[in-house]
Amino acid sequence: MVIQSKTKLVAIVDDDDLMRGALQGLLKAVGLPARAFASAEEFLSSGQYREAACLIADIRMPGMSGLELQAKLNAEHCRIPTIFITAHGDTKMRMQALRAGAVEFMAKPFDDEVLLASVRAALES
Amino acid sequence: MSYRVTGKWIAQPTASAALRYGLALAAVAAALGLARMFLHFHLPQTFIAFALSAIAITFWYGGTKPGILAAVLASVVRIYFFEPELNTVSRGLYYLVFMIFALLMSRATRARDELEVRVAERTAEFTRANEELRLEIAERKQAEYLIRQVFETSPDGMAILGRDYRFQRVNPAYEHDWEIPAQRIVGMHAADLLGLEMFEKVKSNLERCFAGEHLSYTDWFTNPLGRRRYRAITYSPLRPVAGRVEAVLLIARDFTEHILASEALRQTQSDLAHVNRVSTMGELTASLAHEVNQPIAAAITDASTCLRWLTRDPPDTDEAREAASRAVKAANRAAEIVSRVRLLFKKGTPQREFVDVNEVVREMIVLLHSETTRYSIAVFSDLATDLPQVMGDRVQLQQVLMNLMINSIDAMKGVDAKRELTIKSKRTENEEIMVSVSDTGAGLPPQQADQIFNAFFTTKSHGTGMGLRISRSIMESHGGRLWATDNPPRGASFHLTLSTKADAQE
Repeated sequence: MVIQSKTKLVAIVDDDDLMRGALQGLLKAVGLPARAFASAEEFLSSGQYREAACLIADIRMPGMSGLELQAKLNAEHCRIPTIFITAHGDTKMRMQALRAGAVEFMAKPFDDEVLLASVRAALES
Repeated sequence: MSYRVTGKWIAQPTASAALRYGLALAAVAAALGLARMFLHFHLPQTFIAFALSAIAITFWYGGTKPGILAAVLASVVRIYFFEPELNTVSRGLYYLVFMIFALLMSRATRARDELEVRVAERTAEFTRANEELRLEIAERKQAEYLIRQVFETSPDGMAILGRDYRFQRVNPAYEHDWEIPAQRIVGMHAADLLGLEMFEKVKSNLERCFAGEHLSYTDWFTNPLGRRRYRAITYSPLRPVAGRVEAVLLIARDFTEHILASEALRQTQSDLAHVNRVSTMGELTASLAHEVNQPIAAAITDASTCLRWLTRDPPDTDEAREAASRAVKAANRAAEIVSRVRLLFKKGTPQREFVDVNEVVREMIVLLHSETTRYSIAVFSDLATDLPQVMGDRVQLQQVLMNLMINSIDAMKGVDAKRELTIKSKRTENEEIMVSVSDTGAGLPPQQADQIFNAFFTTKSHGTGMGLRISRSIMESHGGRLWATDNPPRGASFHLTLSTKADAQE
């Protein structure tokens, strides 16, 4: 089950430190390399988005939102399979995210098995 | 007031001149008559003696000029009637004698006149002093009357307490307050009237007053019939003669109705504030739920991660411990937010405690984090590090900040430019703390900037128009102020001040 490739990095973008820590810890437990960023801006300026094979992002963040990040990446033809995790997910937002190419749209709190399945699917795609 | 010199001798020169010159004539004529009568009885020459007497009398009673006339007349009479054949030298000698006598008499008369003037002046002075004394006595009587009247009719209870803590004098109001006759209170020890417990409380204040201090305090007092009254007490030191304080003047003003009314008002204000908090929190439900949900989600993930490490073969306890401690931290965060929210929902009488204003600001930023994130508002805080704590009701101060921040968020919801909420705290020169909440929203309604603090004024479709009104009354009950200004180039700023002086609040 363990993904062999070391280059397949999972990027986490969430403004909440607890959530970042939890996601990073979870991915570490299943042996997936992950890097966490506190904002979309930080992620973009790091340049690591080019290496990311999967993106787990929050939608509502101060500054650039998750959806804006997705749009920005799409505009740069950098289509990273994206999993959105949000606390206030409404249908409209969900549809917008999925239409823009999100692979999953999850509400907090989420089932870790479902999340991991989505991450794996994204990495294998 | 002028005092006229009214000595009877001084009045004389103003008496008829004819009378005075007539006196000269009559006196010399009398001297002549008497001398002739003596001559008739073959007595020796006596005219000189009588003439000198006549001159003296005239000087004394008639003044200088009639006196000189008498002297001249006496000389003439002497020459004609007594020794007409006297030689020139003798005649001259007689003239000389009369003239010297006249001169002496005139000096004597002047001396007498001066004395009279002095006596008259002294008399006038004495009369004046007497009059002043009389007026002073009248004034004193008047003052005494006023003091007695004030003491007797004052609605404030008044008492004089000696160094032995025994009452020396009490007024009817004091008597009425304690419902004990004045004659029984006088002589009573303060501990017997107040009760030992109350006496122990006020004793230190009394001691300070006996040491010369003027002081005031307020407290509840219970009289022997069990009636409780709230009184403002003033102690002033009494020093009948300069030096040590011999007694204390106690003035007791009844503020029971006032304090009950203001307590009722405070309670009403507190209830209103509570309603405002609850309704505001109601509007925030979605955000608050998210704020609690976020750490719970993290905790759940951490807990499952922990299980993953434990179910490995062999279990990785180090990683499991780390995941578990993250779960604990996240769960604590959730609990903390819940308790903060619960505190805001709590209904209670306003508390007075030391509050760290920066802490209140930080807590509110955390609590409204979801709300600001939801509307893509960037929150900046610029909090002074040297802020002293202030006396106040923590929940109500949080509420004011919450109202201001929510107003700012509401004002920026419809704005398509940058959305920034800035909260600053600083110290001002006049022992105050100032907190400013600024936004880049729609700004104050033009021409209505002063009305935003009125009750029921709102520019929002869902607003109650009570938020700012209640916020201002909360600030005022804290001895502070709340006002709004424009925040150029766009938006509004709300500023509040709180005094750092301990006695600024009621």
